[in-house]
Amino acid sequence: MTEETTQNLDNRLREAVLSCLADEALSFNGLRVGVLNEIVHLAGAAPTLEIRQKAVELVEQIPGVRGVVNRIDAPGAPLPARSVNLNLGNDK
Amino acid sequence: MPPFQNAAATNNRCKATLAQVPHFEGLSSEIQEAIAAAAALRHFDAGQVIYLEGEPADYVYILESGWIKATRMSRDGREQALLFLRPVDIFGDTNVFVGTNYPCTVTTLEAVDVWVISADTLLKLVRQYPDLAMAVIHKLGQRVLNYIELVEDLSLRGVEARLANTLLQHAELVNGQLVVPRREWATFDAMAVRLGTVRDVLARALKGLEADGLLKVGKVEIVLLDPKGLTERSQI
Repeated sequence: MTEETTQNLDNRLREAVLSCLADEALSFNGLRVGVLNEIVHLAGAAPTLEIRQKAVELVEQIPGVRGVVNRIDAPGAPLPARSVNLNLGNDK
Repeated sequence: MPPFQNAAATNNRCKATLAQVPHFEGLSSEIQEAIAAAAALRHFDAGQVIYLEGEPADYVYILESGWIKATRMSRDGREQALLFLRPVDIFGDTNVFVGTNYPCTVTTLEAVDVWVISADTLLKLVRQYPDLAMAVIHKLGQRVLNYIELVEDLSLRGVEARLANTLLQHAELVNGQLVVPRREWATFDAMAVRLGTVRDVLARALKGLEADGLLKVGKVEIVLLDPKGLTERSQI
């Protein structure tokens, strides 16, 4: 896959992630989304650990997403907040 | 994104920071004024994300205080440290000129103050001021050389040699001893990311060097007991 098509795919996934999380109205503060090599990177702040986890569950359902690196901060989250959920053996 | 602080009130502070950036210190006051007028100050606490890999590269940053690290996750999920930056330096600039997304994630290792300039503004200023373009080219060239060193390190050296080399590069002379302060190595995981390996392999390499009497791992620092021996091991 060329650099350009890889970035196009990542950009489309990024739009899908932003749209999905906006639809759910999960009340993030300063949500950040990056996608590289079909791995989604999330950052920002969530009001609860449940919403932080819900974001990962929603993003994992998006076709084409190979994994999620969750750096969203939330009360009770580890510092620095970072958890990795990769499904690399099951490329969609 | 949190609101930027008013940059106008801190114009002189920005120019003072700019004057400390390698290759930027010789820029005319007109160029420094133009950059300062376009820059905004932001503060990040330790452990915060400044930008994520795969986000649009919309901003360039000048690191005024505090440490940051840049990491990138490979397709197979392994995290590799690309850069550890201390003040004063520029980051986020590489992709502005090719219009692609940020290639790495930048997080703060401690409280950080940065000056933020929009990519569009920097591009306009570079077109307007050839001296600024040359300064940016120098900076990008230096970055390329850093990455060539990283490629050489990862492809030609084993983990033990990379560890020895990195320890020697970051050692400081304290009370007659060469030590690597803990801030360079927040955790074993952070060390592993920096060296492009995993925790277990790193722990074995560190133990091996310690068993051979080359270093001693303490709670707040790593003491380099035999720099000459470490230098030899870094060549293997």
